[in-house]
Amino acid sequence: MNPEFLHLSREHQSLLTRRYFFGRLGAGLGTAALASLLEPRLLGADAPGVIDGPLPGLHFAPKAKRVIYLFQSGGPSHIDLFDYKPALKQHHGEELPASIRMGQRVTGMTSGQKSFPCVAPMFGWQQHGKSGTWMSELLPNTGRISDRLCFVRSMWTEAINHDPAVTYIQTGHQQAGRPALGAWLSYGIGSENQQLPAFVVLISQGSGNKTDQPLSTRYWGPGFLPGQHQGVRFRSQGDPVLYLGDPPGIARNDRRRMLDAVGDLNRMAADSFGDPEINARIAQYEMAYRMQASVPELTDLSRESPRVLEAYGVRDGATDGGFARNCLLARRMIERGVRFVQLMHRGWDQHGDLPKQIRGQCRDVDQPSAALVEDLHQRGLLEDTLVIWGGEFGRSVYSQGTLTKDNYGRDHHGRCFTIWMAGGGVKPGFSYGATDDYCYNIVENPVHIHDFNATVLHLLGIDHTRLTYKFQGRHFRLTDVHGNVVQPLIA
Amino acid sequence: MPMSPHLTARSRGRPSSVGRSVALVCVLAVVALRFPLAAAAPAVPTRVDFNRDVRPILSDHCFACHGFDDKTRKASLRLDLKESALRGGKSGKPALVPGQPDASELVARVLTQDADDHMPPAEFGKPLTPAQAETLRRWVAEGGEFRDHWAFIPPERTSPPAVRHTDWPRNEIDRFVLARLEEQGATPRPEADKPTLIRRATLDLTGLPPTPDEIDAYLADTSAGAYERVVDRLLASSRYGERMAVDWLDAARFADTHGYHIDSARDMTAWRDWVIRAFNDNKPFDRFTVEQLAGDLLVTDRNPAPGTTDADLLVASGFNRNHMINYEGGAIPDEYHTAYILDRVNTTATVWLGLTMACAQCHDHKYDPLTMRDFYRFYAFFNTVPENGLDGRNGNAVPTLSLANADQKARLKELQEAAKKSEETVKELEAGATTRQQAWEAEVLKPEGLLAGTDTAAVRTNAALMKIVGTPAESRTDDDRKKLADYFRDQAFAALKDARQVRDQARDARDKFDRSLPTTMVMGEMEKPRDTFMLVRGQYDQKGEKVPAGTPAVLPPLAEGDPVNRLGLARWLVSPQQPLTARVIVNRYWQMYFGNGLVKSAENFGSQGDWPTHPALLDWLATEFVDSGWNVKALQRLIVTSATYRQSSAAPRAEVEADPENRLLARGPRVRLQAEFIRDLALQVGGLLDPRVGGESVFPYQPAGMWEELMAREDNDSFTAQKYVTSRGRDLYRRTMYTFWKRTCAPPSLGTFDAPDRQVCTVRRARTTTPLQALVLMNDPTYVEASRKLAERMMASAPDESGRIAHAFRLATGRNPRAAETEILIRLYRSQLETFRANASAADHLLGVGDAPRAAGLDAAELGAWTVVASAILNLDETITKG
Repeated sequence: MNPEFLHLSREHQSLLTRRYFFGRLGAGLGTAALASLLEPRLLGADAPGVIDGPLPGLHFAPKAKRVIYLFQSGGPSHIDLFDYKPALKQHHGEELPASIRMGQRVTGMTSGQKSFPCVAPMFGWQQHGKSGTWMSELLPNTGRISDRLCFVRSMWTEAINHDPAVTYIQTGHQQAGRPALGAWLSYGIGSENQQLPAFVVLISQGSGNKTDQPLSTRYWGPGFLPGQHQGVRFRSQGDPVLYLGDPPGIARNDRRRMLDAVGDLNRMAADSFGDPEINARIAQYEMAYRMQASVPELTDLSRESPRVLEAYGVRDGATDGGFARNCLLARRMIERGVRFVQLMHRGWDQHGDLPKQIRGQCRDVDQPSAALVEDLHQRGLLEDTLVIWGGEFGRSVYSQGTLTKDNYGRDHHGRCFTIWMAGGGVKPGFSYGATDDYCYNIVENPVHIHDFNATVLHLLGIDHTRLTYKFQGRHFRLTDVHGNVVQPLIA
Repeated sequence: MPMSPHLTARSRGRPSSVGRSVALVCVLAVVALRFPLAAAAPAVPTRVDFNRDVRPILSDHCFACHGFDDKTRKASLRLDLKESALRGGKSGKPALVPGQPDASELVARVLTQDADDHMPPAEFGKPLTPAQAETLRRWVAEGGEFRDHWAFIPPERTSPPAVRHTDWPRNEIDRFVLARLEEQGATPRPEADKPTLIRRATLDLTGLPPTPDEIDAYLADTSAGAYERVVDRLLASSRYGERMAVDWLDAARFADTHGYHIDSARDMTAWRDWVIRAFNDNKPFDRFTVEQLAGDLLVTDRNPAPGTTDADLLVASGFNRNHMINYEGGAIPDEYHTAYILDRVNTTATVWLGLTMACAQCHDHKYDPLTMRDFYRFYAFFNTVPENGLDGRNGNAVPTLSLANADQKARLKELQEAAKKSEETVKELEAGATTRQQAWEAEVLKPEGLLAGTDTAAVRTNAALMKIVGTPAESRTDDDRKKLADYFRDQAFAALKDARQVRDQARDARDKFDRSLPTTMVMGEMEKPRDTFMLVRGQYDQKGEKVPAGTPAVLPPLAEGDPVNRLGLARWLVSPQQPLTARVIVNRYWQMYFGNGLVKSAENFGSQGDWPTHPALLDWLATEFVDSGWNVKALQRLIVTSATYRQSSAAPRAEVEADPENRLLARGPRVRLQAEFIRDLALQVGGLLDPRVGGESVFPYQPAGMWEELMAREDNDSFTAQKYVTSRGRDLYRRTMYTFWKRTCAPPSLGTFDAPDRQVCTVRRARTTTPLQALVLMNDPTYVEASRKLAERMMASAPDESGRIAHAFRLATGRNPRAAETEILIRLYRSQLETFRANASAADHLLGVGDAPRAAGLDAAELGAWTVVASAILNLDETITKG
């Protein structure tokens, strides 16, 4: 275990004693009242032998201390972007062989199709860097940094529709009710800062499919964990955090004065009632006051140099729906100690008109994604920040709808898809797993989404089988009863 | 017929103890030293109790491999049954030799230092503490008795225990509580003062704070039974039903949208109204249960008029239609149909049985004696509803009940008839079209030929068609014949064209009106019931053995003579032999008042659940509840008139820290209000609260774009609940329970205060304290507006600063401020006034928040400064806490 962490543990032990009431007296079942927002890692387990609860310490020396998850909602086409299969050209237009499809279920959108013609990508491919990674010409910037990236080409999921698939990859279960990955981290290891939430969510809509991909707060929800572990949505319109701004006419010193009065009155109540919960509330008001200053500072991109803004592609009139801005915000957040930043970028659900839509989607995300990785690297943050880029499933090799000379669509496909990671202890310039010539089935090293989540937790120093929460009599965990850490991915 | 809440009232009408409300400080000083700090820790038991002490250890550390589930069992050893423990496992050594820990393999294995033999194995990750190992050793030494899990044994009614301080108890509850306190050498707190007490009871029973008039009336009433009369008034208030309904809506996963993907709207508000009414009418809980689970099986008419008994029963049966319903393009109907039934099983088992049936969906339960077979037999009860797998596109999913009134029905009938008539007209014209076409062709060929109701001119400019007309009918190709016939019908035959247009409009008008009529989702049974199969690993598409409906084997069977369907199941749930329901329900009511249930894990009474703090009290209450005829109001009355409930919640810090969750009940409850009641309170003290009970859901203030940035559609046309349209007027100020609940984006201010998203059943909310809550209370326009309206009331209430502050303080906290408190707020007022005097437009900006009109004639700077003071009062911990 790394010495720095041991030191932190000891410090938190003393905090645990000193500020015992914050954690233990959160009242009701959410005893860890402030675990996310007030003080990191200060909560021990309930008693020796009881494994539930925020972790008293990490299980392994962490390789990553924080995560930026660039979630590509809708299911990017691994076939057109990452999973280069020159042989597919020969099968273009041919019916998908039964030996490949193997009777596997397809969605209700294509199950009635009479024909399942294979489609080879209609874009060029380029090989990049020392790793010789092949990538679609639509992702030139991602290609440029491919020596920093770790690709998993053999991801798979049982889900074949958005709602269950996003719920699954984010919460480990296809139906509602479980905590999201970020919520587990907020609960398990808390925040690294005192002014910002441990788990932040940023939303954007790309120029691809604009009408078919709703999001649910469930994707970053707390499930059965206490509510403070849910992802806090930072918004681009109105207050970045709900009700952050004082009402019109109320200046900062007005707010300070009002808070002082409320604090004085609450302290008197604390003396009368002996209830430490009141002290917790006083502390929370102070933190809210600090957030009112720290969040606007965080979201103010005018402090970034024109060079940085240019590198990310943050500019007026961009079609990216705010993705570039969110990438830059994500970097600013982790600089300030946010544990987990989840971007939810929509538009990848290209059932029809794929060539046009995917061009737009790639134009939106390619430059900012690459700029973020480069920026983190230059600032020395990539080493212990894990960046994840990927969606909830891949897309079908067969065309949805009619295949024409220059147009096609692709349906959902869970049997395989590609994601990439960077930094945070994963092998750079590395690819793992392989699919068949049709990008349809995995032929080498399958990585189920539970394995993937187990690996992410492992990189953060957490044994996925030992981060649990007892609910309805069961010790729940992110990976349910599944998941194996994929050691070959780890540097 | 509403039941009297007095059936079991046992109040002695003792004078309320004004004399006992000693100055708080003195009491604290006296009692503090007498309270053992370690009181919350379980005292060392004189004898190990299997269920309390041993089962939790075995359950948590051993059963996963040596329990009920034979698929995961290791070494053929079972430790959940005495016989198999005596026999031992593969090693042949008995795990348990009663009275002889040294000869018992179980004891040897947990005590050994040998890593290979040690149990539980290190890789299991759940080591025993030395104390736990010692408990096991002592249990074996004391005879190694097994008992069935306590919650599976029917509740036993014991006489309330004898107590030393016989003057304290007011009813039976108190004797159970006091006996435990005395056992621990602890003393209860004195009774709370009257303002505290009326506020506590009013918040608990109505979800609203008492008005100053109500407080004054209670303070003035020094006669015997004054408090009980307050309680009776509150139980009779229509607000009571609303308050009780809130927790039930959580349990029933009630919401206004379907919850998956597109997340369109549905309308189950008739069901919500039914719940409010049921509580207000004090519908006995057994009826309440049967009607909600199987009301549809009690009706004689499936299409009754609204307001009739049959209609009410059908509305009630909507309980198990409140689950999420999908409509994702591409989703597979079977998969979701299965998900709905699973949800019904899990919800029903959690709400009534406190059991986690979900675990047995894929495998036999690891901790409780519930098999997969039990699960799917339970599932079979809910598997025969005539519903669709994907029906959550828009509006209510079948089966539904029309709630249209007579006028609406008459109007619909008119529209249906009009549509039918127009269809007939079209048909007649179509039938005569061939003959008509021949006549038309003849006229077309004449230079000036005309035929009424047709156009003979246009076709003459179409050479291709004219060529066909010119060809003798018998010589035309099929293709040409069709071309001409189509042309005639679609273009030239004007009368048919017009009739079709009329028909399309009539159909459209009929459908649109039909869709606008209120309905509610109900339960029903398929004419030919679907068979139920066990699902291998819980997978919808992997059917196993066929199973009939039935109750879990560990619990009693359905009553003989009762039908083997939901009705039989519902009756079984509330039958006195069934050990769980009454306990589970009284426990949840206890939780409502004290913040925690007697069993803290209100959702789980299985072996992994928490041991009750007061088992005999829980059983007594359960039997009392059943004996009273499941009289809900009587149960509530019993709890809130107990001395236990009436204690002061103030205590020395050390006492609170020793028992932070008040498990011993040595003080009164002090709990932050639920999300809904915090907003209700602000609306009420601001004089804004709309008094209407029941009805449609409303759309109060919400930051712009909260929905839209998550939704796929930018309008509410093809799908609903995509775009948030804020209500106007009094709908902005309805009780918070009527706020439109969108599952994929639940009301954000409520979520901040731990309201669930209602995607799945919730019977226990978290209570957290976060900075985001502070931001809501300080800055959400709802609270800014309420502060302004409260400020107006303050200015109207008294001419002086102290009087105004006292008025607001009382409205919000129920008590008068102390001098030091008033002083702080006067200081705040004056400095804020100075600021606004210097900057008049700032005050105007503040006063512009919210739709409610500003009272005329008030000085902006003063009103603004009072608004800040009012906001400070609304932000007090005491304001948002039931103390």
